[in-house]
Order: sequence, then structure tokens, then C-alpha cells
Amino acid sequence: MTDTYDLSTDIVDRIAGLTPGSAAYLTRHKRDKVAAATQRSSDALFDPALPDLSLSDRLLVALYACTLSNAPALATHYAERLASINADRAVIDQIAQGSIDAQEPRLRAMLIFTRTLIQSPIDGDKTALEQLPAAGIPTPAVVALAQLIAFLSYQIRLTAGLRALQVLNATEAA
Amino acid sequence: MSRLIEAQGFTNRVLGWDAWLDVVALADASPEQITVLEESHPKAKESDYYLFLVHQPEILRQRSAAFNAIMYAPGGLPRAERELASTVVSRVNGCVYCASVHAQRFEQLAKRDDVIEQVFNDPATAGTSPREKAIVLASIDLTLMPGQVEPAQLRALREVGLSDDEILDLIHSIAIFAWANRLMLNLGEPVG
Repeated sequence: MTDTYDLSTDIVDRIAGLTPGSAAYLTRHKRDKVAAATQRSSDALFDPALPDLSLSDRLLVALYACTLSNAPALATHYAERLASINADRAVIDQIAQGSIDAQEPRLRAMLIFTRTLIQSPIDGDKTALEQLPAAGIPTPAVVALAQLIAFLSYQIRLTAGLRALQVLNATEAA
Repeated sequence: MSRLIEAQGFTNRVLGWDAWLDVVALADASPEQITVLEESHPKAKESDYYLFLVHQPEILRQRSAAFNAIMYAPGGLPRAERELASTVVSRVNGCVYCASVHAQRFEQLAKRDDVIEQVFNDPATAGTSPREKAIVLASIDLTLMPGQVEPAQLRALREVGLSDDEILDLIHSIAIFAWANRLMLNLGEPVG
């Protein structure tokens, strides 16, 4: 695990447009324990060494979650990370369009689970969860996948709220 | 002794929670897993929820660090108002388990339960003061429409007296329950 939290690579600051020294940036970093745990959560969830769930599949799940949530800046971030690891361009484009039917069965099972958690978490049930082990995903990887999607729901709302705070402060300063 | 509130399928009763897949048996847990359980919650070793999530100890460690810093840090938004936001988000997402836990915490901190009954019955109209109504409304909006958050929604919070530090704590409290509710709703179910 990483013991240091490097402010210069904070994803939430970058996506929300919080420039160092701005009012919203200073407000956010009064709660630095939260900022650090948020970034370290991201680092852990996208750790390339995590077994049984490829980094490319996790980034595709993230791209799909952000697409469904109308979070274009985060969606672009995950699409760029996918491009940087040379993921299949056709698959990236399909998922960025919200199209999941053509994906191979294991990835498709993950994306269906993603859709339920993102759009209607109340509709998830035991049968829906059991589709993941049935698609060959062992329990620890199911935990990682569920944590990833739930984290993305958090990250999407955090960045949206902070961006609004940044705009509010910038408007008043002008 | 607190008053029992039951409405629209929600309750402030103490509930349990069972995982749908295999949890880590405490006897088989690694030293790292034990450490993370102890950092996460005082009763984590008896909880299916934590014993399931500890299949991925580093991910749970960071989730718990974020959760505990958001809900328990001193200063900023009063803790009762963080618990109110958590209860509203859980009500809107349909998480009966989380709503019961955080309704109880609100009642312990605020020494009243009037707004909890309102939230269970109809979150859209809940709130016993303009400040509470604004907190409830922001919790609903950021939960349901994260893609449409406008600065005006935050200005409404300032107009009822929230500082930017308090608005940040509110955003955190709402966002962390987008996370918590999805785990509770999709990995197991409330019992009892």
C-alpha cells in the first residue's frame, strides 16, 4: 500500500477543477483525511496486481458507471486510462455509448451488475449477485467489483458537488 | 428509551444483516484482515458485512478510513445533521438497514425523532426548519441526479446558514452513503 498521499495526482481535485489555492480547494483539504482515503481507495481499487479482475475490466466498469451517471469528465478520465493500457478501442467505444450486449459473457455479467448498482440499487437481489460466481468470478473478486462500483457512485457525487462549490466560489469572486 | 417508528417499510428498530455469499471465517483471517476489522468498526468481527468486505482488506481499510473521517470528525457540520443526510440518502435509495442504523444515531445525537418520522414517510417534504429542509433537499438531489448539480443548489444551503466547511461535510455525508447503501443493498439483506 502507499503510505504517502500525493496532492499533485489527486483525481477528484483534477476532475472537479479544484486548482491549488482556490477557495474550494482550501475547503476540501481541511478534510485531508477524507481526501487521502478517497485517493487511496482509488489506488487500491485500480491496483494492477489485484487478482481475478483485470485492470482493463475494472476501467471498463468505471467507464460504464460514469456514462450511465452522466459524469462526462470522469468518463473521459477512465476512457483515457483504458487507451493508455492499450485496451480494445472498439470495446471502449461501445461501452462509452452504453452498449454492453456484444461483450463476452464474463465482462457482460460485470456490466449488468454495474447497471443495477448504479441505476437502481434497490433492485439488486441474491439472484443478481449469484450471476457473478456463475460467470467464473471468485468471491474476493466479487467484493472488489462491488466496492469498485459503490466507490464510483461516491466519486461521481463527490466530484459533482465539489465542482458546483468551485463554480459558486469562482462566480462570487469575479 | 426511544420511540418505535415504522413507516413505508422503514424502521428505527435494531436490525441484523446477512451476506449472500461466503464471508471470511474469523479463525481463517490473516493478521492483516484482523487489523483492518479492528480499524473499521468496534463490532466488525461479529458482523457479516465487515467479514464479507474483508475478503479485500486494503480496499476495506481505505473505505473505513473515508467513512470514519466523514462521519465522526470534529467540527464542521454537526454530527446529527450528517446522520440526517445519511438517513435521507438511505431512505431515497431504499436501504432499510442503513436507514435504521442512522436514524438511531440521529436520535442519539439530536435527542429527538420528529424529522426521522417525516423522512420515513415522505423525504421530499421532510425537515422541521428551513435549514433541515435544505439539508434534506440537497441530500435527495445529489443522490438522484448527480449529473445535474448546480451552484444554485449549494447557494440555497448558504442561505439557510451553512458555511462552505459545512457544505463540504454535507457533500461527503451524502456521497459516502451512495457507496454504503449499494454494498448493503446488493451483497446481503437485513434480518430481524
